Amino acid sequence: MQNKLKYFYSYVPLIIFFILVLFFARQLILKEDPSELPSVLLNEKFPSMALSRLAGYRLFSNKNLMNADNPSLVNIWSSWCVPCKVEHEFLMRMSEEHNIIIYGINYKDNKEDALKVLDLNDNPFYAIGVDKDGMQSINLGVYGVPETFIIDRSGNIRYRHVGPILEYHMEKIILPIITKIKQEKL
Amino acid sequence: MTSLLKFIFFFFIIINSVLAVDTSGPKDKVAYELYKELRCLVCQNQSLLESNAPLALDLKKVVMDKIELGQSKSEIKTFLVDRYGEFILLKPKYSIQNFLLWLGPIFFLLIGFFITFTFLKKQSVYKEEPLPLTDEEENSLKKILDNNVF
Amino acid sequence: MIIELGHFLLALALSLSIFQFLLPAVGVKFNSYSMMKSTSIIAYMSFILVLFSFASLVYAYITSDFSVSLVAKNSHSLKPLLYKVSGVWGNHEGSLLLWVLILTFYSAAVAILGRRLPLKLLSLVLSCQGLIAAAFISFILFTSNPFIRIFFPNAEGEGFNPILQDFGLAIHPPFLYLGYVGLSVTFSFSIAALLVGKVDTIWVKWVRPWTLIAWVFLTIGIALGSWWAYRELGWGGWWFWDPVENASFMPWLAATALLHSSIVAEKRDTLKAWTILLAIIAFSFCLLGTFIVRSGVLVSVHAFASDPSRGLYILLLLVFFTGGGLALFAKRAPYLKSGSLFKPLSREGALVINNIIFASAAATVLLGTLYPIFIDAINNSKVSVGPPYFEAVFIPLMVPAILLCAFSPMLSWKRAIMDNIIERIIAVFICALFLASLIIITYGGSASAFLGLFLAFWLICGTLYEFLIKVGVKSSFKTFIKRSLNLPRSAYGMSIAHIGVAVFIIGATVSGAWRIDIEKPIILGEKIIVKDIELTFKGIKRVEGPNWNADRGEFEVIKSSGAKYLLYPERRFYPASEVNTSEPAIMSGIFSDLYIVLGESLQEKDSFAFRIYYSPFISWIWLGITLMAMGGILSLSDRKHRLGYGLKKV
Repeated sequence: MQNKLKYFYSYVPLIIFFILVLFFARQLILKEDPSELPSVLLNEKFPSMALSRLAGYRLFSNKNLMNADNPSLVNIWSSWCVPCKVEHEFLMRMSEEHNIIIYGINYKDNKEDALKVLDLNDNPFYAIGVDKDGMQSINLGVYGVPETFIIDRSGNIRYRHVGPILEYHMEKIILPIITKIKQEKL
Repeated sequence: MTSLLKFIFFFFIIINSVLAVDTSGPKDKVAYELYKELRCLVCQNQSLLESNAPLALDLKKVVMDKIELGQSKSEIKTFLVDRYGEFILLKPKYSIQNFLLWLGPIFFLLIGFFITFTFLKKQSVYKEEPLPLTDEEENSLKKILDNNVF
Repeated sequence: MIIELGHFLLALALSLSIFQFLLPAVGVKFNSYSMMKSTSIIAYMSFILVLFSFASLVYAYITSDFSVSLVAKNSHSLKPLLYKVSGVWGNHEGSLLLWVLILTFYSAAVAILGRRLPLKLLSLVLSCQGLIAAAFISFILFTSNPFIRIFFPNAEGEGFNPILQDFGLAIHPPFLYLGYVGLSVTFSFSIAALLVGKVDTIWVKWVRPWTLIAWVFLTIGIALGSWWAYRELGWGGWWFWDPVENASFMPWLAATALLHSSIVAEKRDTLKAWTILLAIIAFSFCLLGTFIVRSGVLVSVHAFASDPSRGLYILLLLVFFTGGGLALFAKRAPYLKSGSLFKPLSREGALVINNIIFASAAATVLLGTLYPIFIDAINNSKVSVGPPYFEAVFIPLMVPAILLCAFSPMLSWKRAIMDNIIERIIAVFICALFLASLIIITYGGSASAFLGLFLAFWLICGTLYEFLIKVGVKSSFKTFIKRSLNLPRSAYGMSIAHIGVAVFIIGATVSGAWRIDIEKPIILGEKIIVKDIELTFKGIKRVEGPNWNADRGEFEVIKSSGAKYLLYPERRFYPASEVNTSEPAIMSGIFSDLYIVLGESLQEKDSFAFRIYYSPFISWIWLGITLMAMGGILSLSDRKHRLGYGLKKV
């Protein structure tokens, strides 16, 4: 009996190896960036944050996000953030061409620099909140700049985009999700 | 034996001039331990302790504030996991999801022992004892041993 | 022109490798003596071709030929010569070419040194090596070609990651690859043995030295990487259980198990299937490591520029060689004749337990490293596994191995006679307990510090005791000297290597448990006292280097003995790659390291953030590993390992 067992046992390493290969293949095929994290707050209400006003601009709070007529975007940005400059064009397009309300959170920034950026460029934001020391954004699970959150009509977070929103992301990810939310019954 | 003791004594005297007593207070210690167990999300290969990234400094401040407020390690960890997910924990949670991870090592050991000793047991080890050596054989054996230890 | 020549030679080498695979295989199948015999020449030629191909790439780097795409991306004319050369392998494509160079070198070495091996065995080994070479060369030529030109070259290269401009890191890949590729030789031997259908003493006598060579190089390579990380990365740590570090550690664990298993196989003609399996697994870990580092499936800062399409190719290599090897094992291993028997309580038994522990350790590191991938696939959630996990799990696993390590040499083969041994165990136990307690009581420490010290002393005392008994310390002085001189080098090698492990444990334990961390802003002129050392922050200057400029801080360090030293931590900026690095200033000593990191300048005038680490005994980590490697080298020089020793011409 035990003699026969060894003929079986000798296949065990091979079997384990093939299971491993399946996992590897999956990872390769998915082509995900392993350092990118999905938001843990998916489908939860946008947290309440104590943001301060930026002179000359509307302030917002999470109350604006709840019971809204349409889904909105919350974008984390700073004047010192280089990719933010790149995504600015696409934020403008979404705001003006697609009539999406974008709220901005100015993250760990200097008041003067932030105002300068808004003066020199078009403003995609309907309202802006200032998170001077970055502590409020921790409640959102922010770990880099820029980040953009898609919020549905009830104020729930439906998606987080890490990094700048480029054309590809806008067309293939952000806009479709917003369309999908619009089609949902309240 | 005496040379061994002398060696040990000498060794001890050397160490004497080098080591220090750990003097950090309990709060610092808890903070230190927590920093080591949390991942920096920017420089993702460092813990909060090692990282100089701005986010790491912010998170360290959050942790420190909460320790001052008297929160426990698990409360602080839960706070961070609620916002950043389990990815921020360098030490995976002891959860049912992770049971394979934590029990894996013991499992490997046990399986290893089980398979190996199944195979070894089937060999009948109790063969006949060899006859004792004759005097002649004893002598030649002694000769060989004196010349070659292995 | 030279580059094109190099490219051509590599393509030629590919054809030759395929030939090296086919010819002996056919020769064995049809029992053709001439076919099998000519394989060696093909192996020599392959090596020469790859050597010149590699040389052409080195030439391009040294002459800063920026028309070669690889050189343009990774080099810079201002780089010091050493780093231009090491830049050849400091990138994905070049490092693969180095891999292949070492592979063909080893194949040629096996061909020369194996003249006296049974021809069938040698042929199969060379055939397997040829196949591996062909696989890797085709990987290079089709996906990672270092010889590609760009038609509008820039005048200057794009520089090189400045963190990598370090001596330790420059020589770390060659050592590592010498280890990995050495394991390919034992892999080929195993495949050959399975194909031939038997594993005899000749086979083991051949495999053991190659395993030792690979093991020594791997040990040194890993130590170099760790030493580099300590000196360059600026947080005083030396091992982070990063996927890339684990990728080199897993083969090492498997190689260590293989080493010990082959001792049993050689001495007692048993555990053969296990030895073969370990050889296949060890090489598979090398391939797996290559996969992890270059495919981008895991988060790691060390990794080369990752590319999933290359990852797919490596995965195919993995499936082919590991899958093939394991399949062959599954089919053939049960038919290997099992050897002599032994009782569990014997030298064999102890080595079997050692094997199981090391294999479990390797499996555990694998589990921890790959776990994020598993959970992501099953649960779609992101989990991370870091040092706290590995430390919590790996150390307990190693404890029994270390406990056993001191004693196994005292156990006799087949059936251990326990009478003397029990009293020896008790003696060593008391000794280790006493020493460890003494230190903990005097200096205060945690339970884990105590455990570390206890294990280290246990190992030292046990190894020394065993050595002294073996050379008959109790008998006359003359016998003692005579036996010491006659003791085979491998016995010395073993003792030294084991003591090296103990020294390493002391280094790791003490530097971990009694490290002093100071993180604070320091003003110009401020004095800090760490233990019996006085540090004064003297100033900051701007300095320029060959391809960088930096802020350099100056610290005056005065030890209790009155000796004065100056330390210069820097924050460097490399304009070519726009990267900031921190160069810690380290004052290393046998008994402690003082480590200063210059941080940022702060709001207050003349105030800077500094980190100062005082790590006692941290050099013992690398000292211990060096001892381990030296023990291995000493064993290698033993007469019985001389390749070909004792074999009659076949």
